[in-house]
Amino acid sequence: MAAVRPLVTVQPLEGHMATNALAGVPRPDVLKAPMRPDVVRFVHASLSRNSRQPCAVSKHAGHQTSAESCGVPAAPSPVSPASPAAEHTAPARVPSATCAAAAVCSPPTKTWRRWHRHVNVNIRRYATASALAASAVPSLVLARGHRIESVPEFLLVVSDTAEGVEKTASAIKILKQVGAVPDAEKARDSQGIRPGMRKMRNRGYIFRMGPLIVYGNIPMSSALNLVELASGDHIDRLVILTYHPYTLKLYGENPKLNSMFGTFDKSSEKKKGYVLLRSKMHNADLSMIINSDEVQLVVQPIKKDVKRHTLKRNPLKNLYTLLKLNPYLDKKRTQLPKEEAAAIKAAGPARYKTMISDSECLVFSISFTFIESTSDDHRMQVEPTESQCPVHVRRITLTTA
Amino acid sequence: MATVPGPLIWEIVKKNNAFLVKQFGNDTAMVQFSKEPNNLYNVNSYKHSGLANKKTVTIQAGGKDLSIAIATTKTKKQNKPGSLYHRSVMKKEFCKMAKVVMNQVTDNHYRPDLTNSALARLSAVHRSLKVSKSGAKKRNRQALKVRN
Repeated sequence: MAAVRPLVTVQPLEGHMATNALAGVPRPDVLKAPMRPDVVRFVHASLSRNSRQPCAVSKHAGHQTSAESCGVPAAPSPVSPASPAAEHTAPARVPSATCAAAAVCSPPTKTWRRWHRHVNVNIRRYATASALAASAVPSLVLARGHRIESVPEFLLVVSDTAEGVEKTASAIKILKQVGAVPDAEKARDSQGIRPGMRKMRNRGYIFRMGPLIVYGNIPMSSALNLVELASGDHIDRLVILTYHPYTLKLYGENPKLNSMFGTFDKSSEKKKGYVLLRSKMHNADLSMIINSDEVQLVVQPIKKDVKRHTLKRNPLKNLYTLLKLNPYLDKKRTQLPKEEAAAIKAAGPARYKTMISDSECLVFSISFTFIESTSDDHRMQVEPTESQCPVHVRRITLTTA
Repeated sequence: MATVPGPLIWEIVKKNNAFLVKQFGNDTAMVQFSKEPNNLYNVNSYKHSGLANKKTVTIQAGGKDLSIAIATTKTKKQNKPGSLYHRSVMKKEFCKMAKVVMNQVTDNHYRPDLTNSALARLSAVHRSLKVSKSGAKKRNRQALKVRN
């Protein structure tokens, strides 16, 4: 984490006293909490179940009739009707189940279904911190679909004059000054009819979520409710990356955030014994790490030649591979007839010398003498002393790297 | 850190974001597009992503007529979406606009890996503007008459 915490400017509003210092407010450490969409998703899913009210099918449903059924028809019995066993196999009389096709329907719903979920305090706080941190990153907020093109700065902090707003018109004015209007308008324009049966329960309309405005003077716990923050508040939306759009935070509040969540060093004042969780990677910028000097110095050069698996060919069938494995075979094929071979063998080493003198073969030996080396160059010049063959051997330069 | 590193943002955003468009099937059969304005190919990938990169290039229709707006993001202003873009509207011949794009993207070493994408997008946008100006091609739906 950067040692110097960047400052966030507080957006001035109309009517704000010019005398009040609008110095930049240092960012609270919560906003550097690790961003864990998986944690947020889990906690949000659990927490959003907690405001459910139990509902079930009436336990009398389907039973409030006087009808009876004859029960399940019995299979034709192999016992003859005259026997005493047959007389007692009268089908029992059973009251009908809730629906006619009893075997097909699932059992009726009960009120003692597990509606609520408990989430550990630590995970809850982790998720809130995570969501807060993500709300400070413009890319993520954009990715969630908010219109933030005209927002002057991220982390949107607004002076506390906003708290005193009474009328909607002035609220809109504030949004305008802060560049939040496109987002609010998008929310307003997105009114749609909810698909599904909830219309019948007076939840007929859906909206997109606009900005979340967080006041500084409200106790933080209620303001930074994760379900709000993570903005999955509208029930039908199983928004997965549910990041808090952005808050218009008030001036006095940032220090509050610090006291609420603590910094990485200090534990929180408001939450007993809670210290902000650190991320697994202090510096998550992979490309920067990979390209850094420290890593590049130690790293092996890129292997550019790719060794591909070559198809194995059968040397017994494929001449070329055979020759690769056994190069002498080539010569053997162009072999001298047997008599000549025998003659050569008989002649022995003497033949070698005659061959040389006859100059039939270019077999030569070259011995070298070393001439002076030009000391600076690490080069050694070398010349052939005997040239016994017509091939002209040039001066050879041996270089050491 | 003030800025969250691009790769981290990408990991969060790549599977699910407001601009993502997935069509035609699942897994390998699927095409993934991205409707962000800063995405030159509109493809959902890290290199082209307008969300995960600090430096992005946008080429769009600039308004009326054949003007094209090219915008680049300023690296120092990542936290200020209001003043993030360097925007300029061009209304020139295509060759000159192409040169401008090349200057901005490549010769400045801004994002040389996006050269081809930028030029391709410029052509596409320009062509679409021309089409919209002169009207879509009127296709003669009558059957071809065979002459004797």
